[in-house]
Amino acid sequence: MPQRNSHPTAPPTAADIRRLVVAHAGEERTPDKFQVITDTSDFFKVEYNDVVVLGDRPYWVKRYEKEGRFGLDDEPKYWVRRAVDLVDGSTKILKLVFHEEFETRIGSMVITCFRSPKKEARILDLVAEHANFMHGHWVLDAAGNNIRILEFIHGPRYDTVVEGLGGDHRDYFDHHLVGVLDQFVEALQAIKFLHDHGEKHGDIRRDHLIWDLDRQVIRWIDFDYNYLHRESMFSLDLQGLGNILIFLVGRGDVLVPDLHRDRRDLFDTLWGEDLSISYKHRVANLKKIYPYIPESLNRILLHFSFGAKIFYETTEQMLDDLARARDDVASATGRGS
Amino acid sequence: MNEATLTELVGRGDERHLLLAVDESANSRRAVMYVADFFGSYRDVFVSLLTIIQEPSEDYFPTEEKRRRWLEDKRQAMAGVLEEYRRILLDAGITEERVAANISVRPCVSIGDAILEEQEKLRCCIVVVGRRGISHDEEFIFGSTSNKILHHAHNCAVMVIE
Repeated sequence: MPQRNSHPTAPPTAADIRRLVVAHAGEERTPDKFQVITDTSDFFKVEYNDVVVLGDRPYWVKRYEKEGRFGLDDEPKYWVRRAVDLVDGSTKILKLVFHEEFETRIGSMVITCFRSPKKEARILDLVAEHANFMHGHWVLDAAGNNIRILEFIHGPRYDTVVEGLGGDHRDYFDHHLVGVLDQFVEALQAIKFLHDHGEKHGDIRRDHLIWDLDRQVIRWIDFDYNYLHRESMFSLDLQGLGNILIFLVGRGDVLVPDLHRDRRDLFDTLWGEDLSISYKHRVANLKKIYPYIPESLNRILLHFSFGAKIFYETTEQMLDDLARARDDVASATGRGS
Repeated sequence: MNEATLTELVGRGDERHLLLAVDESANSRRAVMYVADFFGSYRDVFVSLLTIIQEPSEDYFPTEEKRRRWLEDKRQAMAGVLEEYRRILLDAGITEERVAANISVRPCVSIGDAILEEQEKLRCCIVVVGRRGISHDEEFIFGSTSNKILHHAHNCAVMVIE
């Protein structure tokens, strides 16, 4: 696959770059000294206010991006930098190459994951025209590192949007859930698109689903993870989708310790099989908590519960069930029919 | 598998053609022992030993050379394992011309589906696999090959060896 957006013009000189920074930020905000970097192999050496030249285009580097993972909120991702494209002034995210291999835990299971720039670059090409994914292109730097240059998405995490909808849960169910399910179906269809093309997202979590305020759509981000699958290539993606759906239907996690403390009557109705198979302290059988949830929708959630006997193998199966469940919610609430 | 071998195998007509899908695990070895014990004295059984090697994506390797080397090492290791399994079957009385061993290297969405594609191609009447004995959580996250075969096989019997 050829690198994209490389310009046939000569690379900018240091003086050109300085002029571009001044034009963008003004003389007073232009630093006296900054590095011009073309080889990003040691991403720790790329500092605030440096300029990285990729495909002959200069990017003025700003802060690190952050991510909550392994229980550490705001963990800096030193290889992911916000930057200003000095040609058009737009904000970009630069993902530098970080060949990370790590173990992640899902319940009691440990999975070895890899961070793969090649995979993310391949998927960026694949989803260039798809509304429900982050967009961007990739460029090889002077040392051959595959740098992904991502369009900045203006908007919050989708889960935080949903948490703010409605008054109590009944109000959320009556007035908002159909719309949320419609948006989740879009997200699910987007993952089906990946699977149909032989790709997995690899890291489906609710903080990787962003509500794009400009385009008013939900968009998947961060698909550079890969892992050696066993029998089923897509099961981990499906498990992530199930966890998100449980969150959306419950408008947040329904946690066993909270029920034990605040709603002992509900706590006493729960069995082990009602809990999420991935996170044993979360309730998956939400009908026991919110009895007005239709059977058809709750049955989908139960596929991700500890008591499940059959698991989804494909996004298509989940989409089929969700179409029926969405219609049942619409009938029950008189919305979105 | 080359075309001549394939033609020969699918042309086995009414013979009891058994597909024994294996890997290097202890449960696969148990399945081989079971087949040897159960079918060793049958004169009209033909056993196709099959192992699927998932062709790994380029993502897992820094260079294509390393990927190729990994595949070659894996192929050699599995050839050794298949030879050991073939010996077990021969020692049980199945004659040499009634055992074939095949390694299939392919990209796989599902190993179970890949095994069933081979079954269909070879027209085997029985598929035999070992059960790994994975936990409920593991099956949820990784899937289960034996369950996949049990649920999706058609036009053949399935034996799952514990």
